[in-house]
Amino acid sequence: MAAVLPVGSDLSGAMNRFLKTILEKDIVDAVLMPMKVPSGDSFAWIIMSDSSIVDDAEAMAPVMPVQGARALRSLTRKGEGSIRVLALMRPCEIRAAIELSKLGQVKTENLILAAYDCPGAVPMDSFVSDPSSGEDLFRKMLAGEDVSAGEVKPSCTSCVEFSMTDADLHFGHFGLGGTEVLLIPGSPKGMEILEALELPADRETSIWDEAVRKRREKQVASRDAAFEETGENIRGVQGMLNVFADCISCRNCRAACPICYCRLCHFESETAKQDPNSRLDSAVTRGGISLPADRMLFHTGRMTHMSLSCVSCGQCSDACPADIPVAQVFSFVADRTQKAFEYSAGRNDGDPLPLRSFMKSELSGIHEMVSDAEPGGHAHE
Amino acid sequence: MNSIVMKQDASTAIRELLAYLLSSSRVDAVLTMRQVPETGSCDLGLITDPSGMVEAEPFLPVMTANAGQALSSISMSGKRIAAVLKPCELRGFTERVKREQGSFDNLLTISSICGGVFPLEKVISGDLEKLVPRYIEKTARAEAPRGLRETCKACEEFVPMNADISVSVTEHGSLMHLHSDRAEEYTEGFEGERIEARADQSHIDRMMKSRSAAKGKLFQSLEKSSGLDGLVDLFGKCVGCHGCSRVCPICYCQHCDFESINFDYNQPYFQESLEARGALRLPPDTILFQLGRLTHMSFSCVGCGMCSDVCPVSIPVAGIFKKTGERTAGLFDYVPGRDSEEPIPVMVFKEEELGDIG
Amino acid sequence: MSEWQPRILAILCNWCSYAGADLAGVSRIQYPPSIRVIRVPCSGRVDQLFILKSLQSGFDGVLVSGCHPGDCHYISGNYVARRKFALLKPLLEFIGIEPDRVQFSWISAGEGERFAEVITKITEDVRKLGPSKRLVKKT
Repeated sequence: MAAVLPVGSDLSGAMNRFLKTILEKDIVDAVLMPMKVPSGDSFAWIIMSDSSIVDDAEAMAPVMPVQGARALRSLTRKGEGSIRVLALMRPCEIRAAIELSKLGQVKTENLILAAYDCPGAVPMDSFVSDPSSGEDLFRKMLAGEDVSAGEVKPSCTSCVEFSMTDADLHFGHFGLGGTEVLLIPGSPKGMEILEALELPADRETSIWDEAVRKRREKQVASRDAAFEETGENIRGVQGMLNVFADCISCRNCRAACPICYCRLCHFESETAKQDPNSRLDSAVTRGGISLPADRMLFHTGRMTHMSLSCVSCGQCSDACPADIPVAQVFSFVADRTQKAFEYSAGRNDGDPLPLRSFMKSELSGIHEMVSDAEPGGHAHE
Repeated sequence: MNSIVMKQDASTAIRELLAYLLSSSRVDAVLTMRQVPETGSCDLGLITDPSGMVEAEPFLPVMTANAGQALSSISMSGKRIAAVLKPCELRGFTERVKREQGSFDNLLTISSICGGVFPLEKVISGDLEKLVPRYIEKTARAEAPRGLRETCKACEEFVPMNADISVSVTEHGSLMHLHSDRAEEYTEGFEGERIEARADQSHIDRMMKSRSAAKGKLFQSLEKSSGLDGLVDLFGKCVGCHGCSRVCPICYCQHCDFESINFDYNQPYFQESLEARGALRLPPDTILFQLGRLTHMSFSCVGCGMCSDVCPVSIPVAGIFKKTGERTAGLFDYVPGRDSEEPIPVMVFKEEELGDIG
Repeated sequence: MSEWQPRILAILCNWCSYAGADLAGVSRIQYPPSIRVIRVPCSGRVDQLFILKSLQSGFDGVLVSGCHPGDCHYISGNYVARRKFALLKPLLEFIGIEPDRVQFSWISAGEGERFAEVITKITEDVRKLGPSKRLVKKT
């Protein structure tokens, strides 16, 4: 059941008004939402306590320049204070925030996490080069019109978690023709907000449910196709090497990743530095090496460190200057590693991080499981 | 100056020289750009086997990483290495040596009068095959090829400053200039006619003319980016990935101050800022990072342009750093990367100077 | 409402300028109550970033003061500091921060009077400039 927010002419505007109201009524102390940057070609996360500033903000931004969970991490990493903040974000950002809270990097006690039905995002590079076309494109996406897959962030075209009821509050608008938004509480915190606004959650959601189900069906099909293609591309060691051949080791993927929270990445630390002599020795053994060294070790290492929490937001691909489909590979791998533990990253269901918990009797068929989980992931062919 | 006349094109000649250095055991390894013929993908190779030299493309107009940065720790192995570096890579390396991040002791540096490199996006999109032949043709005539990195178009430091060997290519042929005893010693026995010659100054002058004009234009286009509003416009879309600092040959800190706990804030800070301003950007310090980096390294900026190339939101970082760097370095008549013996301006002082401060 | 008062951060070296401030205090020399003092071992310890960060955090002006050139307790710290400040100047100009907001001075332990003069000057200079923009674009 859900409460109803009438829309009027503009979906995003209606959500803005809602956020403004909860600020004005002191239901929260601040809201965190995107705002267009002064140059007009991107958006930034702004936390605002002054309700008049909400007018200049944008509830749903066409792009995702900074993963929202990173914004929440910077706000609460050092512990929480007394300000209650509502953060309105894409579902993948909320899921990343939930993962980070499990990792102790985001403190959710005073946060109200709100998500909306996400139609996908416009890739950063195309938006920056032509913001007005990017905004038009996003309007079409919001309205449910068909856009060509190549124009949308690749990870969005295969996203199956675009609508998310694990948030404290969810803004559902798919299938409602742009006339109203359903406010779906996902937790007691979300319920409290609705109560404070005296909005009864008495609306039946079947039309929205059906629209989401239909979209998910479509998305699952395109994800499966993407997985199949990626699985082919990364088959065997040579496949991986080919996919990452153009990597220049800038580590933008790691920096853009909401899950990679380490202040000093292991791969940039002293521990990972190889002694220059042994580096030369390995060059001698192999006749030559590629510099900067250990690029594959970095990617596969990062995979082992974070794929269980990967939310497939696609930020890594967006930040890659060499156009490597990092996100597609990480999603593919994450899907398999998470399945191995029956874990789904970003769920607020009390499931602990797989590597932080264990059962005494489990994984007895570890050998079979590994080979099942990695079709084509073997070097020997 | 003693120079070797190159009978074939410069790439082939240097490839042969590198193979000669390896097979005659004068060096243990060579560092050069290379290109995999089948896929066209390029990287920096540290090659020890002379047969690996077939993939070497010493003068490929591509910079996947600033080789000065890549060479840094390897140069301290004590092994002898011959490295083919673009002038800005050599200057970047020189700046690192001043910061004890590298050593010239066992290094033979080979550089060339540089025509510039193409941005990574051109490399990735596979346009290189078309672009390179035209590039070679144009640069031999001292003309500027189209589509280069912005900083390359505007680079006036295209003549290597402290290489052991420098290569110059003009329409009249290619020469290998030997600048040091080490160069003489290492090339001894390498085939090729020795003549007394310098790089063609009129060729350099013609290149300089177009570079200076482009630099004037570039700097002028960045004029509006100064001042608070200009800076916010420019860096407002920065996503804080810090890719610019990671690919920078000067930014050698293993753990950047801006990624340290010094830049984590507790809640009272946010609360106070909200009370004072009503709104605050998250993560904070986006612009402060850029300004901080400018204070920490701009006087050593070698203008290689890696930062702009990796910026996911196309901020003209390199232009800004180069422009500001020329002002900050200029205060002390400092030229980054000119000479490894020239001290970093903030590490030394004169007792009698800067009387207007304080 | 009372008149706006500038808030100025004074970063003082332990051996000279801090002692100069102390002397001004015990000598009961009057100067404007506009400064907040941070004591550092030596002006050479001051990273340019400290200054930028202070302006960003809301200070209207910053004063850095050390021993007179030649008198540094650590022999040469203030010479290095002087170079760093020289480097910062064009950057401040680039950022668009008025030069008078950030000032450098050399004050010895015996110069209580001078300390008061320097503080009076920077306070008046900053007062003329008005509140700092905190490195944000006003919308």
